[in-house]
Amino acid sequence: MIGGSPWTRRLLATTGVIGLVFLGVPILVVIPMSFSSAKALTFPPPSFSLRWYQAFFGDPRWMDAMWTSTLVALVASVAALLLGSLAAYGLRRGTFGGRDWAEGNFMAPLIVPTIIVAIALYLGLAKIGLLGSLAGLIVAHTLLNVPLVMMVMGVAIREFDPRIEQVAWSLGASWRYTVWKVMLPNLAPSVFAAWIFAFIGSFDEVIVTSFIAGKYDTVPKKMFNELILEVNPTITAVATLLIGLTVLALAAVTVILARAGKLKQTIV
Amino acid sequence: MSDIRLEGVTKRYGPVAAADDVDLSVAQGEFVTILGPSGSGKTTLLSLIAGLNRPTAGRIFIGGRDVTEATAQERNIGLVFQSYALFPHMTVLENVLFPLGVRKIGGAAARSQALEALKLVRLDGLEGRRPSQLSGGQQQRVALARAIVFKPDILLLDEPLGALDRKLREELQVELKQLQRTLGVTTLLVTHDQEEALSLSDRIMVLNHGKTQQVAAPAEAYLKPANRFVAEFLGIANFVGLDGGRTGLVRPERVRLGPGGVNGGRPARVIEAIYLGQMVRYHLAIEGSEGAPIVAAVPFVGRAWQAGESVAVSWDAADIWPVT
Repeated sequence: MIGGSPWTRRLLATTGVIGLVFLGVPILVVIPMSFSSAKALTFPPPSFSLRWYQAFFGDPRWMDAMWTSTLVALVASVAALLLGSLAAYGLRRGTFGGRDWAEGNFMAPLIVPTIIVAIALYLGLAKIGLLGSLAGLIVAHTLLNVPLVMMVMGVAIREFDPRIEQVAWSLGASWRYTVWKVMLPNLAPSVFAAWIFAFIGSFDEVIVTSFIAGKYDTVPKKMFNELILEVNPTITAVATLLIGLTVLALAAVTVILARAGKLKQTIV
Repeated sequence: MSDIRLEGVTKRYGPVAAADDVDLSVAQGEFVTILGPSGSGKTTLLSLIAGLNRPTAGRIFIGGRDVTEATAQERNIGLVFQSYALFPHMTVLENVLFPLGVRKIGGAAARSQALEALKLVRLDGLEGRRPSQLSGGQQQRVALARAIVFKPDILLLDEPLGALDRKLREELQVELKQLQRTLGVTTLLVTHDQEEALSLSDRIMVLNHGKTQQVAAPAEAYLKPANRFVAEFLGIANFVGLDGGRTGLVRPERVRLGPGGVNGGRPARVIEAIYLGQMVRYHLAIEGSEGAPIVAAVPFVGRAWQAGESVAVSWDAADIWPVT
């Protein structure tokens, strides 16, 4: 792809830059706007102020939403990490029939349009009486994030030499001891990356949450609802905080995976 | 230290039998090699003995105990793979301590036992290194130390020297043989390398398509192969016609060469002369014969025949082994 004529290369570079600008500018515009002193959304901001951050942190409804989001994201991401990792292990190491079907089933929430997953969860949770409950929200977010964990952990497990496990068993180590003392220390970077992805996946989720959360507000759901009612600059402050969180988390993932990659190179 | 016994061991994957009714007895302290081409089922057989896999039929005994249904953890075996399979996040010493830790042996006793094992494989002084800081040969020594430190009943080696270059491989062959003799541990090695099999083992089991072809001492398998497959797999085979339409095997070392026109030899022409250091290998076309060229391996003393020269080829009747 890097080859080709100078013309195609120039075209490719231009397209890339335009794409980046198109994706990046709206995000970057939000950040100065959040520090604006104006009462309504204006760009450029007339002067610097932290009033919208005060509005956010001073509003108990926003704080409630923040707490709900964090709690749901924490529990759901850990649950998804556990279930997704076990599923990935079984699918990569197992030799049973129907593995492709099982994998397709686990991956479905990622592939099926979210709105359909949302309707399915709405009906399903209503049936078992968890609609509008915190537990129902956590179950739904867990389900949505299992595929992400499976993808990250699936690759990590496939790259891990199965003979290392077999040797550990032959040396007398139980399966659980082997996972704990041999696999996890080596797969830790991937486990951490998978957890971050799951956490962000849950923290960002709005469609399914809007359907099933009932009286519970998460941060994205509240942002969405606020935007429908009125365009309040508090949104830009929340958005800036979320952007900051996401950038930090992705940076952490990059650093950790890069380090793991370096480690792997020295092993080979 | 224990003996190994396989009785009618069969492993089927669908219609394919990776191991087909295999019987084998390995005496206590014996070194036996399972030799076969890739896909012959030799690694399957090893994984069945190691307990990483269950046979479709047959029984496996280690030290007289039926372990057919036992897990790998319950079999007390030392296992070494071609890929070393060291624990990358542990130091050399931690790798060797691992099986002791699992057996609840700790402290100074474990440490001295581990250092002892490292000394046996000549790695003393490197116990603080990580596997990534070691050469291939050193890594394989760590794997060996880890496999013997807990005094396993048997030692299973799956192409242990396959990833090493030739010179190192030959060095480690000698060491492995000495180590095995010192420990007196019953050892089963799997390889596709016939030289390795011949040089290391007390006995060889030749396997093809999951079926036993022959179990014999190296010299016997080489000179008196049970069938054509064994004859061709173990080195170079010359097949010559015998009375009654039968076929006989003559190994290249048993073929004699003399100057052309001399009585008592078959006239032949040298197609190719390959100089191998101590030996010269000749490919010879017997005159009036349509068959494959005869290969002779003759010690190099002073003069070698050149391609195109006429020679006389002969062998003793005693050096012919009839094969089917």
